[in-house]
Amino acid sequence: MAPALSTTHVHAEEWSGEDVGVGDVVTALCRLRDESAHETEGPDLRTSVMNHLAWVPAEWEEAAVETLAGLEERHPSRGILLFPQPDAEDGIDAKISVLAFPLQEQRRHIAAEVIELRLRGSACRAPASIVNPLLVPALPVFLRWRGRPRFGEQYVDQLVEICDRLIVDSREWPDVPDAYSELPFERTACSDIAWRRTERWRRCLARMWPGIAELRKVRVEGPLAEATLLAGWLRSRLEREVELEQDDSETLSAVDVDGSACPVPREQPTSSALLSAELDEFGRDRVYEAAASAAVTF
Amino acid sequence: MTETQVAENPLLEGLGPRRTPDPCVLVIFGASGDLTRRKIFPALYALANRRLLPEKFAIVGTARSDLSDEEYRDRMEHAVREFGRDDFKEDVWRPLSEATHYVSLNFAEEMRGDKLIELLNRLDEERGTRGNRVYYLAVPPSAMQPIVEELGEHRTTEGWTRLIVEKPFGHDLESARELTAMGTRHFTEEEIFRIDHYLGKETVQNMLALRFANGIFEPIWSRQFIDHVQITVAETLGVEGRADYYERAGAIRDIFQNHMLQLVALTAMEPPIDFTADSVRNEKVKVLKAMRMPRPKDVVRGQYGPGFVEGREVPGYRDEEGVDPQSMTETYLAAKLYVDNWRWADTPFYVRTGKRLARRDTTIAIQFQRAPHPPFEDSATEELQPNLLLVHVQPDEGVSLAIGAKVPGQGLRIRTVNMDFMYGGAFRTELPEAYERLILDAMLGDQTLFTRSDEVEEQWSIVDAIVAGWARDRPAFPNYASGAWGPAAADELIQRDGREWLRH
Repeated sequence: MAPALSTTHVHAEEWSGEDVGVGDVVTALCRLRDESAHETEGPDLRTSVMNHLAWVPAEWEEAAVETLAGLEERHPSRGILLFPQPDAEDGIDAKISVLAFPLQEQRRHIAAEVIELRLRGSACRAPASIVNPLLVPALPVFLRWRGRPRFGEQYVDQLVEICDRLIVDSREWPDVPDAYSELPFERTACSDIAWRRTERWRRCLARMWPGIAELRKVRVEGPLAEATLLAGWLRSRLEREVELEQDDSETLSAVDVDGSACPVPREQPTSSALLSAELDEFGRDRVYEAAASAAVTF
Repeated sequence: MTETQVAENPLLEGLGPRRTPDPCVLVIFGASGDLTRRKIFPALYALANRRLLPEKFAIVGTARSDLSDEEYRDRMEHAVREFGRDDFKEDVWRPLSEATHYVSLNFAEEMRGDKLIELLNRLDEERGTRGNRVYYLAVPPSAMQPIVEELGEHRTTEGWTRLIVEKPFGHDLESARELTAMGTRHFTEEEIFRIDHYLGKETVQNMLALRFANGIFEPIWSRQFIDHVQITVAETLGVEGRADYYERAGAIRDIFQNHMLQLVALTAMEPPIDFTADSVRNEKVKVLKAMRMPRPKDVVRGQYGPGFVEGREVPGYRDEEGVDPQSMTETYLAAKLYVDNWRWADTPFYVRTGKRLARRDTTIAIQFQRAPHPPFEDSATEELQPNLLLVHVQPDEGVSLAIGAKVPGQGLRIRTVNMDFMYGGAFRTELPEAYERLILDAMLGDQTLFTRSDEVEEQWSIVDAIVAGWARDRPAFPNYASGAWGPAAADELIQRDGREWLRH
């Protein structure tokens, strides 16, 4: 199982099991909540604002755990982390944590629930059937997909179907900008952390209006995902052909428009803060959709 | 982002409103005072820490004390370290400190504002603040007039001007009108920002969200379903070195005239057509205008004697330093108010505020009428209370709803249980301090959370009517012990109607 996701909780009740069924998970969760309530002077408050679902293939596990650390505290939720192991023997291993976080000036706590499921073998093929009984009803479902989702494959489409918002980071994708054409905009709201990283630059560029209205060429020093999204954004907003010149670098570090440097925005937020910001968003982002669609042609 | 802005600049679409004000200079009068140290500078630091201040920005502190820029910056650094809600970070403080200047001035004696004007003009050139000014008057009302006159006469010809005024806005209706007239001789109402810091509290604003963003409450938010409303603003503190001010103000001017009546207005107001400053304030004014002038028997005043608060023995009000030993200043006020309109006719609003009470607690309690005919045996429902919606403004910010539920087991017994929504439980970000929100709003020119002159005048009309009744009697003060919930007469006020104060 992954290491503990938070360091700020005051107490945690945990349960784990191998080769378990969904029913075992639900029963254990109820029991843990009950036990957690006995640790304090009253029941921990469950003020969930969402279901936070994450699909984390093995190669992303370490990065995912780092990003998710502390998120339950910021966004009280039921977190369901799915670790697919398609080549392993069929079965589900589970670990559940009920984490209690302090409430300022109070003796009571709020509880966040994290369910980690290792989906082995055929369990990877029908993740929605496992997740559905575990969702808190009537709360939005945010699905963070680590790596490149294989849109069109059944297990991906199943999860996309049950989520209200799909959050990806196209910087993790090896095949941008072509991959943007596969984003399921018509089926669910989509967020892209790479797009979020461009936000400060977009604000700076917006301040260059109207001088930027006749823009012909943008040079971006940064990863391909951010570069193509920025250029796609300029194309779609300005409704004109904009040429892109990209110099690869680890982070988005410079943008020139027709030879004029865009002022470097203030510091970039952390990956946790970027994901956290996406979890505050609801509804479709039409500007992103247009930018991603325009980026495909670069 | 407005539609017009987006139409003019297509790159703005989807970027959302960024609450960063225009470049400006913030000038603080009363810059060496307690308010500046405890509230204003820590708020400015918190805004800087969140990068919410404009990049082109400067602060000028002015007061009588003879201080250099460096000395003033040192003092403010200590204030931020002591009273700030964030950890102190050198890289946040340094640019804020470098943007901070100090001018020693005494407006009351003679006009020595030239050096202030010179500094402001220089800052415009050096920092690109474009003549935009926010003047923060953190001074007593007596010191306001010469400052406002001078500022009015030396207005910049370019840029905008905003004047932040701290309460009290006068001490009665007449003086409030004089203050308004003085202010509006030189500034428009749109340029004057009267701070009632309660309106900057997140949970006070949440009252608007609770009422107008939830379809379930508004249909039952009326005399038809609500038995009565109780609003409590209880403090455990005494006068805390503010005897000079408090002796003249008392509970009625310190809390009732502003915070309390604002809470009543927010609770009773009709839904505004939008959330613009004037729409919200128009609705609040209607409530204040509809408020029936309370009769003397509907108002109880009190003054605390010695007692124990939170296990500590504390002196009575008359024994506090700086207080007249025969003082007749009230430290407690309870009243039964009515809002005479279609929605609230005959629905009492019981309000109480006081110092040295049993607990620090600001709460709005909406008590609904009992279920008309519970089909259970009397013994089953003897522990059942009417439904109660409690809005906790401070501390423990949140909302609780008391509902009846069956006690598990054989038979049918019903008990009242609380469903709690704790603000900090759902939104795990620290709530901003009221002053952060209000200073930022003033810089942005958003007056929604500031009090308009007609609101202030309506509030004073109610206060004047109550105070006029007090001229005819002389209660036996002190009449409640520190650590109690107020005088016995306050209990009688509500018990006469067959109701009880809630012990939250």
